[in-house]
Amino acid sequence: MITCEFNRRRFLQWTGASAFATMATQLTWDDLANAANSSPLAASTPILVIITLYGGNDGLNTVVPYTDPTYQSIRSNIALSATDVLPLDTSSGLGFNSQMPMISALYGQNKVAIVLGTSYPNPSLSHFSSMAIWQSASLDASATSGWIGRWLDRQPHSPFSAIGIGSTLPPLMVGEQSVASMVDVGGIGLPWGPVASILPRMGVPSPSDGPLEKAAATSISDLYATAKTLGPLVSTSPTGSFMSEQLSIVSTLINANVPTRVWEVNLSSFDTHTGEVNDQNELLAEVDAAVGAFMTAIGSGAHANDVTVMVYSEFGRRVMSNAGQGTDHGTSAPVFIIGNSVKGGLYGEQPSLTSLDVNGNLQVVTDFRSVYSGLLENVLGTTASDVIPGWNKTLSVV
Amino acid sequence: MPEDGSSPAGKAFWNAIYAGQTATVSWWLDRMYAADYPLTERMTWFWHGHWATAVSKIFYPLPMYKQNVTLRKNALGNFHDMTRAMVVDGAFNYWLDNEENYVTSPNENMARELMELMTLGVNEFSQNDVRGAAHALTGYSTNLATGAVGFDASQHYDKPVAILGRRGKFNADSLADLLVSREQNARYITDRLWFRFVSGTTKPPASLAGAFSGRDINSAVRALVYSPAWSSPANSLVKSPVEWFIGACRALRVRPSSLNQGNTQWSLNQMGQIPFNPPNVGGWPYGEAWLSGVAFQYRFDLAQSIVTAGDLSPLSVPKSHMVQACADWLGVPAWSPRTASTLNSATSSASELVTAALLSPEYVVSA
Repeated sequence: MITCEFNRRRFLQWTGASAFATMATQLTWDDLANAANSSPLAASTPILVIITLYGGNDGLNTVVPYTDPTYQSIRSNIALSATDVLPLDTSSGLGFNSQMPMISALYGQNKVAIVLGTSYPNPSLSHFSSMAIWQSASLDASATSGWIGRWLDRQPHSPFSAIGIGSTLPPLMVGEQSVASMVDVGGIGLPWGPVASILPRMGVPSPSDGPLEKAAATSISDLYATAKTLGPLVSTSPTGSFMSEQLSIVSTLINANVPTRVWEVNLSSFDTHTGEVNDQNELLAEVDAAVGAFMTAIGSGAHANDVTVMVYSEFGRRVMSNAGQGTDHGTSAPVFIIGNSVKGGLYGEQPSLTSLDVNGNLQVVTDFRSVYSGLLENVLGTTASDVIPGWNKTLSVV
Repeated sequence: MPEDGSSPAGKAFWNAIYAGQTATVSWWLDRMYAADYPLTERMTWFWHGHWATAVSKIFYPLPMYKQNVTLRKNALGNFHDMTRAMVVDGAFNYWLDNEENYVTSPNENMARELMELMTLGVNEFSQNDVRGAAHALTGYSTNLATGAVGFDASQHYDKPVAILGRRGKFNADSLADLLVSREQNARYITDRLWFRFVSGTTKPPASLAGAFSGRDINSAVRALVYSPAWSSPANSLVKSPVEWFIGACRALRVRPSSLNQGNTQWSLNQMGQIPFNPPNVGGWPYGEAWLSGVAFQYRFDLAQSIVTAGDLSPLSVPKSHMVQACADWLGVPAWSPRTASTLNSATSSASELVTAALLSPEYVVSA
């Protein structure tokens, strides 16, 4: 049960994280750039790439129980038939949405772990509560940091340890002491013109700064640091696919040995209350093509076997579809873990379509914190319980 | 709506739609800039983030404009009137899929978000209440081109439902009445006001909800402004990209539409905030989320164009007074030693000095 303390305001408060994210160490941007150039990521250092799907991706039309007659009848206006899926195998009765040929092919090569029925106890049907739970890895309202942020807190300070793509920081990347850096798909442009020479001086925190002023100053020095090191590498031209623009930056930077252990990219609009099949197909195709191109790109680089990709959303959707050919908010859904070093296959079991909870939603099979624990232990080399206090189950797929 | 943009007619249609969207954004930015009563505009902006509806799904600018008029009309009025107007607002209905909410097959989107995000807050209702509220909202449909909402009684669920412990026949109006009448509504809305105007890290005093007991927004805002917390330097907020941009335009007397509109809207969009297009029904993020290095690079581009077009006469003072004059001009209580020293090195050029000042931590964060 989510405690009553947890409301939207707290979530946003935490998103801001002003009181918690302070910079422990201050380096000049020259120091940072030199450090990054002189300490490239060592070969075989594991790397985690997190793909967040905002809005609640419908798991049942992603990994489809197309052979289950209940699936065909309970959501007949959006059910995918045998011709609309790419079967996983001959025995599970499950198939990938046909918009996912790349991930399906990787699954055939045992490079995709599908963790079925993933959520947490008493799932919240609120986008914001549920995303806060996934991003903090805590069911507790008092959580003030994200799970990668807490991992970051345990690393030596560097703006390169964890990088998000975009301009606004996702809560999962905010720690108690540290926050991740951001890189935008538009590329990195430094200030120009006569004023440019004095602006780096604005990036040094002042003793009189409050936490937010200090963060504003740090953002300036971080821009200079990332621009100097990454700028020449990061220039994308719009492709019409936000996901592929993001992942192409990530693969370029991984192949350039940037010393970054965690990357975060995301895609929105999975909240398919209406017209689901068209909308979700388009989104899944975008994710699939981008992930396929990403795996190909890193496959030719030095870190081909070091990269693990996780794909998740805040919840799956209602089992029964509505008359608008869509679905309302639901609970558990599959999580994908993809990589050359991943032990591919199915983990957990497909939740029953007949034994539903009181709201007509799927039961929970696997707790997402077990998935995170496996990634923390096996990819990020951390004792998982340091980052997720009180959690002691681990699902290892890498 | 002709969806196919490949035919000449389809192309013309979509060009007109996108031109209309751009023009609507420019119109509102100009209005924020020119407002004689900035509080009304500031509150309209707050309510837009609260009833967060995005043109990315509505496409037609007209329903967005009409919603904006409704929010401005009620911006400092009564929240009960506002809610009654918004539950039959075309853009809001379409945004939350009330189009597809049928007696035989409810669509819960609008019912849930109306309770969770607009009136009560999360965990203040059950899934059964969502179901009841979804029934109450059946029978309404939106003409997307005009934003008009019609009601078809034959498509409305006319049997009693239970919502929040109350049993009866409900429609959009009576649902709005019920939600706004809850005590929790006063706490939730005043929490939201506190959160966006005072502090993201502290809770408002209980008396603030008391000032909203009649759901009079003006009273709540007045209580907020006269609270000791309002002027406490301990409470600071990050200016969101639009707030920062409009503040700079007002100080330098630059009408937003006099700048290159494409560049302005692109930069704001890259920073993550453009009017009429919140990222989701929860509205825009907050605080440190706006303080990335990436945002700084676009803030720099905007600052350059505002300063190039701006009236810098407040800095026509002796060099030794320029840095202090700039603080007074921009409403910054005090420069830190870091910023003062940086600005002091730029006194040979008013435009460089004010550009740096607009990008300073002290101006980006409002203490």
